[in-house]
Amino acid sequence: MKATAHLLILSLFLLGLAGCGKPDRGSEAKTAGGKQITVAVMPKSKGNAYFISCKKGADEAARELNVKLLWDGPTDPDPARQNEIVETWITRGVDVIAAAVENREGISTALRKAREKGIKVITWDSDAQPDARDFLINQATPEGIGFTLMDEAASVLGGKGQFAIITASLTAANMNEWQKYIEQRRAEKYPDIKMAVLRPCDDLKDKAFSEATAILNANPEVKLLMAICSPAVPGASEAVKQSGRKDVKVVGLGLPNDNKRYVRDGITPSVILWNTENLGYLTVQAAVAVAKGELKPGVTNFKGGRLGQLEVKGDNVLLGKPFIFNKDNIEQFNF
Amino acid sequence: MALGALLLVLALLAPGFFRGGQLLSICSTVIPVLLVACGISLVIISRQIDISVGSQFAFCSILAGLLIQAHWPMPLAALAAIGAGACCGAFNGALIAGLGLPSIVVTLATMVTWREGLRWWRQGEFVHDLPETFQWFGLGQAGGQTAVLFITALVFTIMVLGTKYLSAGRFVYAVGSDAEAARLAGIRPHVVTFGVFVIMGALTGLAALLNAVRFNDVDPRTGTGLELQSIAAAVVGGVAISGGRGSLWGVLAGVLLLACIAPALVFLRLPPQWEKALQGGIILLAVTADGWRTVRASRSSLS
Amino acid sequence: MKHKEFFRFETMLVCVLGLEILIFNKTGTNFGTQGNMFEVLRLSTEIGLLALVMTPVIITGGIDLSVGSMLGLCAVVMGKLWRDAGMPPMLAAGCTLVLGAAGGGLNALLITRLNLPPLIVTLGSFSLFRGLAEALTRGVDNFTNFPKSYLFLGQGYLFGVVPAQLPIFAAVSVAIWLLVHRTTYGRSFRAIGFSPEGARYAGIPVRKRLALAYILSGFVSALAALVYVARVGQAKADAGTGYELLAITAVVLGGASIFGGTGSVHSTLLGVLALAVLKIGLTLSDQPGELAGILTGALLLAVLTVEAVARKVSARPLRHSSAVKGI
Repeated sequence: MKATAHLLILSLFLLGLAGCGKPDRGSEAKTAGGKQITVAVMPKSKGNAYFISCKKGADEAARELNVKLLWDGPTDPDPARQNEIVETWITRGVDVIAAAVENREGISTALRKAREKGIKVITWDSDAQPDARDFLINQATPEGIGFTLMDEAASVLGGKGQFAIITASLTAANMNEWQKYIEQRRAEKYPDIKMAVLRPCDDLKDKAFSEATAILNANPEVKLLMAICSPAVPGASEAVKQSGRKDVKVVGLGLPNDNKRYVRDGITPSVILWNTENLGYLTVQAAVAVAKGELKPGVTNFKGGRLGQLEVKGDNVLLGKPFIFNKDNIEQFNF
Repeated sequence: MALGALLLVLALLAPGFFRGGQLLSICSTVIPVLLVACGISLVIISRQIDISVGSQFAFCSILAGLLIQAHWPMPLAALAAIGAGACCGAFNGALIAGLGLPSIVVTLATMVTWREGLRWWRQGEFVHDLPETFQWFGLGQAGGQTAVLFITALVFTIMVLGTKYLSAGRFVYAVGSDAEAARLAGIRPHVVTFGVFVIMGALTGLAALLNAVRFNDVDPRTGTGLELQSIAAAVVGGVAISGGRGSLWGVLAGVLLLACIAPALVFLRLPPQWEKALQGGIILLAVTADGWRTVRASRSSLS
Repeated sequence: MKHKEFFRFETMLVCVLGLEILIFNKTGTNFGTQGNMFEVLRLSTEIGLLALVMTPVIITGGIDLSVGSMLGLCAVVMGKLWRDAGMPPMLAAGCTLVLGAAGGGLNALLITRLNLPPLIVTLGSFSLFRGLAEALTRGVDNFTNFPKSYLFLGQGYLFGVVPAQLPIFAAVSVAIWLLVHRTTYGRSFRAIGFSPEGARYAGIPVRKRLALAYILSGFVSALAALVYVARVGQAKADAGTGYELLAITAVVLGGASIFGGTGSVHSTLLGVLALAVLKIGLTLSDQPGELAGILTGALLLAVLTVEAVARKVSARPLRHSSAVKGI
């Protein structure tokens, strides 16, 4: 019958697929044979301006070191898609994977599987479980980030009042780490400041805008919005601007370019970040070093290309300290 | 009626909801959905469906932003955005009316293709650094919001009058109820269907423009979920999915009702995650009530 | 006549699949390997299950837009039952399956008792189920750290080579194939799709058969959710977003008419394969993920257009003109 005929064709194709092909275990023919190293870097989301600027640095490092750079990830934060991409990279046989992790537990399984197959794994920006990767490329210590954010917030609030936090998602490890230190700093040094509410914005500017509007309307005593993911800072600032409330300010982690106009207007007294291009650059530098075996556990110093010598704290490669952008210096930067 | 009930509950429990600022903010968010819902009602009335509106919306928004960035004058860019929407609609219409392909599948395919194509093109990048004349058409917040409201009201009125008094409007209803009968009565169903999709596209382009000017940059991820919202609003507003029935006033009520759910939750201090569940529940209730009425009517007509 | 039409469609699909394989063999690293072939099947299990169960629904002339949201809801319920109610995974899985069937039952009730159009009912449940999932997790909760024995279902390999979910995929494929092609139920699905009134007059219990189709849909969505959670190792409210559209695409790609009356399970499987190979082949060829989406949409349009043009050319009268039946 026709149906069976097609079933046969189906099975034949499958067999055909299985029969041919010799696996190209790229991870075996590493650097020794002079084969170009393939570095697979995954941002949390391709569409986020923060990661787009990281990519510039990553591209630079890839050119400098003459490695093949694969840059792929979900367009919006999507842990399941991150897993799928990692799995396919395993099949492809890349040399090293560097992932900015959206969901710690979920991706760790896939990363461990990659390690079993001989692929080196590091994380950057946001960590996975420590036994799933060799190193974390950290932009700054979470302590440093959390404390700086809280200190800035406190100086804007004048030591007391209420503020609200807008975060990207409640599952990202780095967001959770920073919140922990924000809270710690607040409890230690600023007991008169209260955090009224915490809302996630799915890393989307528009959603941050509507969340901020709703927070302002439902909590009139909140005088400061702390946006700890980069799309949320301009989103919150725009919400404050459109609400016409002159008594509310915004601080957060954001890119200078996104926030220049709000800093000028005075809505956003300061924005904290680090050099994102350098983060991308360092990630690829470290990835290649790990693939070549130069960067391994026990090392305390690492030469990250043009960045010079950087501190390695345990399994954390540190980029530096958080940097505060405000009215005085923000015009100098272009990213 | 459901809208009235919700508003009553709100008035009692959270009068803050009715403060000018909040209402105005609801109006701004509602406008794009309203325009798109009107367009989609026409499509549904003519017994088709269009699930690609979200992707069309995003595309037109980005296009408008890019053209302004390239220093096109606003009116020209606006026309281009509307025109682009109309072209998308024409593409859908050509395949559906011309080749007789099922509308749900065609618009499913175009939805995916356009959305992914836009993502690939923009790589998630916003359209930044738009000149001052972009936001609120350069009229400032109050002026801009009024302009947007005015334009929407104008278009809505035209559509209501058009569906009632223009023969083209009646053709849509005719084709939706029974295309064969319409054809025999001298109407050309294929032309009507094509036209409906083009109008849908143009309305989407306009909605995209009016939404984009609320901000000073354009997010390529805008328009996500728009198709669901507008179809839901249309259905809740009484447009029958089997075609041939529905009024735009009902659509207006549907749009308002669904748009009020989210802010209502904030004001009633309920967790916001119930928004989707409530929306789904309302859709099902509305459709069930409608179905119940039909079943009861047919039963009584038999006896 | 119907078989011949069908034959042409299926051959076209098989050609597409063959073309994909040829191209990706050249451009993709490690594409043509045994490991990859298993990965293709493994990663497409969930969508495959949804597409399989969508086939009888579409054959009856209906549609079920809620399968993706049902997957999400079941995933979340599975997580909650296991973590918060302390149930052992097997029991939690069983309850989840019952929930899936119940959800399908809700759809079935509204569609059969109130004669509501499936498109709208499942649009409502699409929103409702997803909303319930979000409400249950307050939008952010993520259930993880499932026991290794459970995770084996999605991540383990039998004999080190065959992915653990394949036997499930194969079993369900065979079961649904038998149902649709070898039982009276299957024949009644076709009859209902061709003409519900005619079927009723022919003595077919239309309501019961439709109910079966939708309840089954819910049940298999729950099964897919279990596999998903095991594979990804986490249960979050956004699980399965967009899956319903992929499932519908696979079924339509496989030649089923969205108006009902035609469709076959093996063609749906071909459709699923074609889509999966496309996506994975592109990634292995170092192409961005968006290209897969664009090509999927384009492929769907191309296949439909070719079929429509071929039909017009051979001057066969269309059973249902789009302008007449609309959706």
